[in-house]
Amino acid sequence: MIRGAKARPWTGHGLARERWHGYLFIAPMLVFLAAVVIAPLGHAFWTSLHRIRGLNASFVGLRNYARVLEEDAFWHALQVSLSFTSISVALHVLLGLGLALALNEIRMARTALRILFLTPWMVAPAIGATIWLWLLEPQFGVVNYLLGQAGLIAAPVAWLGEPRTAFAAVTMVEVWRGVPFVMLLMLAGLQTVPLEQYEAASIDGANARQRFRYVTMPNLRYLLIVASTLDIINVVRHYDIIGVMTAGGPAGATEVLPALLYNTAFRANRFGEAAAIGVLLLLMVLSFSVVYLRVTRIARPDPVT
Amino acid sequence: MNRNGATATVLLWGAVLAAAIVTIFPFYWMLNTSLKPASEIFLSPPSFVSRNWSFAAYETLLTLRPFARYFLNSLIVSVGSTLLSVALAALAAYGFTRFHFRGASVLIIFLLFTKMLPETLLIIPYFRLMSELGLLNTYAALIIAYSSFALPFSVWMLIGFFRSIPREIDEAAIVDGATRLVAFFRVVLPLALPGLVAVALFTFLISWNSYVWALVLTTDPQMYVLSVGVANMVGEYRVQWNELMAGAVIAAAPVMVLYALLERHLVSAITAGAVKD
Amino acid sequence: MTCNVKSLARALCLVAIAAPALAQQPITLQWQTANLTEAQYEPIWKQTIAAFEAANPNIRIQPILVARRDHWTKFVAAAQAKQAPCIVSVDLTTAAYDGYLRPLDDLWAKEPADFRAAWSEDMLASARWKGKLYGLPNWGGVYAEIYNREMVEKAGLDASSPPKNWSEYLAWSKKLTGPDHWATAVLGGKTDTTTRVLLTWIYGNGGEPFNADMTESTFAKNARSLEAIKFYLGLFSQEKIASPSPTTTNYLEQTVLFAQGKIATMRNAYWAVAKVVGDNPKMDGKMFAAPLPAQIPNAPTLATVSAHSISSSCPHPEAAWSFIKFDMDKKWALERALKANWMPLRRDLGNEPEIKADPMLAQFVQLGANAKSYPLPHPAWADIAANDIVDAVQKALLEPARLEEIFRELDVKLTKKLKDI
Repeated sequence: MIRGAKARPWTGHGLARERWHGYLFIAPMLVFLAAVVIAPLGHAFWTSLHRIRGLNASFVGLRNYARVLEEDAFWHALQVSLSFTSISVALHVLLGLGLALALNEIRMARTALRILFLTPWMVAPAIGATIWLWLLEPQFGVVNYLLGQAGLIAAPVAWLGEPRTAFAAVTMVEVWRGVPFVMLLMLAGLQTVPLEQYEAASIDGANARQRFRYVTMPNLRYLLIVASTLDIINVVRHYDIIGVMTAGGPAGATEVLPALLYNTAFRANRFGEAAAIGVLLLLMVLSFSVVYLRVTRIARPDPVT
Repeated sequence: MNRNGATATVLLWGAVLAAAIVTIFPFYWMLNTSLKPASEIFLSPPSFVSRNWSFAAYETLLTLRPFARYFLNSLIVSVGSTLLSVALAALAAYGFTRFHFRGASVLIIFLLFTKMLPETLLIIPYFRLMSELGLLNTYAALIIAYSSFALPFSVWMLIGFFRSIPREIDEAAIVDGATRLVAFFRVVLPLALPGLVAVALFTFLISWNSYVWALVLTTDPQMYVLSVGVANMVGEYRVQWNELMAGAVIAAAPVMVLYALLERHLVSAITAGAVKD
Repeated sequence: MTCNVKSLARALCLVAIAAPALAQQPITLQWQTANLTEAQYEPIWKQTIAAFEAANPNIRIQPILVARRDHWTKFVAAAQAKQAPCIVSVDLTTAAYDGYLRPLDDLWAKEPADFRAAWSEDMLASARWKGKLYGLPNWGGVYAEIYNREMVEKAGLDASSPPKNWSEYLAWSKKLTGPDHWATAVLGGKTDTTTRVLLTWIYGNGGEPFNADMTESTFAKNARSLEAIKFYLGLFSQEKIASPSPTTTNYLEQTVLFAQGKIATMRNAYWAVAKVVGDNPKMDGKMFAAPLPAQIPNAPTLATVSAHSISSSCPHPEAAWSFIKFDMDKKWALERALKANWMPLRRDLGNEPEIKADPMLAQFVQLGANAKSYPLPHPAWADIAANDIVDAVQKALLEPARLEEIFRELDVKLTKKLKDI
C-alpha cells in the first residue's frame, strides 16, 4: 500500500477528471512562462509598432519594420550572424564529436579529463571572453608572445583590430566555450551504442573506419541533430562574447543580430526599431522551428520495442 | 599491440593533450594574473610563474569589496531558481507524458525556440513588470527570471526521461488508491532522480552565470550577484586585472566543484533524456 | 470611563510623539554616475556622502555602482519604468530630449547670485536644452598633449619647447619612433574617446565637423576638417609613427601604452596623468603637458563637461538639489581636482592656492579657458559619437585609400540622423 493512499469510491467522472488533472500538472509551467516570457514578448511587439523617443511614444504601425529592413545594418548583421552561427556550430559539432570519440577510447584519468574539458562551458561567457581579451592583447598579451617565440609570427598581431582576425578570434572563443556542451552529449550518446553491433561488425571484418561509419554514426545521428539544434539556439542569441571583445567592431565585422539589437536599443535609443528587429528575429526563429519539426520527424530513431 | 596500434595511441593522446592545453591554458593564465602584484601585470615578456605570487588581490576583494555577500546572493538566487525550475518542469513533463494534449510537441518546440531571442529585447518590459509588482531589488525577481530561462529546455529533457519510466508503475499506484499527485511524488519522481539532477545542474549554471538581468533588476549593492560584482571592476578608464581575475576565479570555482561532484548523474541523465525522445 | 479616557490620552500622547519622528523618516536618494566605479574617485565620493549625511540626518544617499559600459542601459531601463535614480550624470541632451530629466530652472533661480556667478554663461549653455537648464556642470576634462620627458630627452629633443604646429609635431614624432616604441597612439576603438580626439585635430586646423545649428554634417564637406582627418589618421597609415592596432585602442589602451613607455605622447585630459601614475608609479613627475599643436592661432581645445542632473521621476527634487549643491562646494571640487584630476568647472577656483601649487593642473585650467565643450548638444549625439563616427574612423584606418569617400558617406548618414529628431 502506498503511504498516503486512500481507497476512493468509483464516481464515474474518471475521464473528465483525468483531463482536469493533466491540465493541473502543466498549468504552473504555462502560467509562469506566460507571465515571464509571453507577456514581455507581447509588450515588445506592441513597442515595435511605436516610435519611441524616451518617454514619448507615438503609434506608427509598421514603419519601424520598413526602416529596419531598408537599412544596410540589418542585412549586414543577418549575414554576420549566419556566418558566425554556422561556423561556430559546425566546429562545435566536429570538435565535440572528435573529442568525445577520443575520450571514449581512453581509460586513464577519465573523469579528470572530462571535468577539464567541461570547464570553458561552466564559466560565464563574459568572463571567458574577458580572459581571452587579456590573452589576445597586442602588446602585453601572452598569445602574441608565445607565437612570436615559436617563430610563427613576425610582429605582434592586432587580433581584434582587423575585421578578419577579429571575426576569427571571436569565433574561436565561442568554439572554445561551446565545444564541451556537444562533447558531453556525444559522450553520453557513445555509451548507449550497443556493444553487440560493434562485435557483429568486427566479426563481419569491418575495420575501425567502417565500424565508425556503419555502427557509430547511425546510432549517433539523432543525438547529433539534437545537439546541433540546441547549439544553434544558444549561439544565435549570443552577445556576451562579442560584446566584451569587440562590441560589434571593427567596422561592423562582428556585429551579429543581438549586437545590432542592443546597439539600436541602448546606443541609438530607438526602442521601437530595436523591438522590430527582435520581432523579425522571432519570425525567423518560428520558421526555423517548423523546419526542425519536419527534420526530426524524419530522423526519429526506431522505437525500441 | 602492433605498430599501428601504438601509433594510433600516441596520436590519440597527442591530440587529447593538445586540446587539453588549449582548453585549460586561459584558466591557468587567469589564476596566474590573479596572483600577481599589480606592477607585474604589464611586464613584457609576461611572466608565467612569479616569485611574488600572493593572495593580495583575493584579500582586497573579500575585505574591501563585499564579494562574500555577492557570493551569498548568487547562491540564494541560483538555488532558488533551480528549485522552482525543477519543480515546474517536473510537473509539466509529467503532465505531458501521462496525459494527451493535442499540439503539445509543437508548443514545447516553440517554447524551446523562443530561447533564441536575445535578452535585450525582454529586459525593459520585464523590469517594468517587476517594478509594478514592487519586486525590484528582491531575490524573487531574479529567481523568477532565471527559472524561466531554463524551463523549456528542462521540460523537454524531462519529457524524454519520464517517457522511459513505464506508465504501469503509476497505474499500479493509482489502482492501489493513490491520487495522481501522490503517484507523482512518491513513485515516479524518485525514479527520475538522475534527470532531475541534470536539469538542476543546467539551471544552476545558467542562473549563476547570468548578468544582464541582475544588472537591471538590482540597485542595492547588498543585492548584487557575483557577475555584477565582477563586471563593476571593469572601468572604462581603469581595469585592475589581477583583482578582476581573482573575482573571476571566485565566480567560477563553485560551479566547477559542483560539476565535478555530480558529473556522473549528468551523463546518465542526458543519455536517458536526449537520446530517447 | 476614566480608564478609557486615560488610555485615549496615552494613545494621543504617543501619536503626538511619534508624529514628528514619522515626519523625520529618512528619505533615500539614489545617485548614479559611471564614475562611481572609477578607482581614483572612490575615496572622494565616500567622503562626500559621509559628510553630507552627517550634515543632513534625514537624507540618505545610496550610490548605484554600475560598470561604465552598462551605465546608460541601467539608467534607461529604470527611467522607462519611472524609477530612475534621483541624482544622475548622463548624456544631458539625449536624456533631456527623452524626457528623463527634470528642468532645474526653478531651483536654480532660488540660489543666491554669488553662487550662480561661479558658472559662466557658456558653461551653463552646455547644460541647456531648448532653453531649459537640465544639469549643473560639475567637472570636466581639458585635452592637452602630454609628453614622456625621458623619452623626449632620449630622442635628443628639447622638452622646454614642445611642437606648436603640425610639421614640428611630425618632426618630433619621427624622432620618437623606434623599433619597439612609437610617438603616439591613434584612437580608433569603439568608444566615444575616439570621436573626442578626432575633434581636437579638426578644431586644431580651424575645421568644423558640423554647421552652426547642427543640422548638417561637414566632416568631409569642410575642407579644413577633411585635411585634419587625413593628417591625423595618416599618422598611422602613412607616417607610421603611431602604435599598432588603432581600431582597438581606447583611452584604456592608450594610457597603458603610455605608462609602459611604448608611446611618447598622448593627447588626453588631465585625469590621464593620475591613471598613468596608478599604472606605473615610476612615471610620477616624468610627464609634462603642452597645448595641442595646431595650425591656426588660438585653436580651441576640447573640454568634456559632466553635469549633475535630477531625473524627472524623482520624488524629492529639493533634497536632491541640496546634495548637488553640497557636492559643488569648493572643498570637493578641489579634492576631485587634486586626487582624481577632474577639472572643476566653476570659474572661481583658478586662484585657489592648491591649484596654483600644481603647475600642470594650473596649466590645464588655463587651457580650459579656450575650449569647445563636449558632448555636442544634439539628442542623437551619444549614438553618433559612439557608433557612426567611430565606424568611419575604423573604416578609414583599415582602407586609407578610401578615406575621403568614407567621410563623405558619413556626412550623408549623419545629416539624415541629425534631422530625424
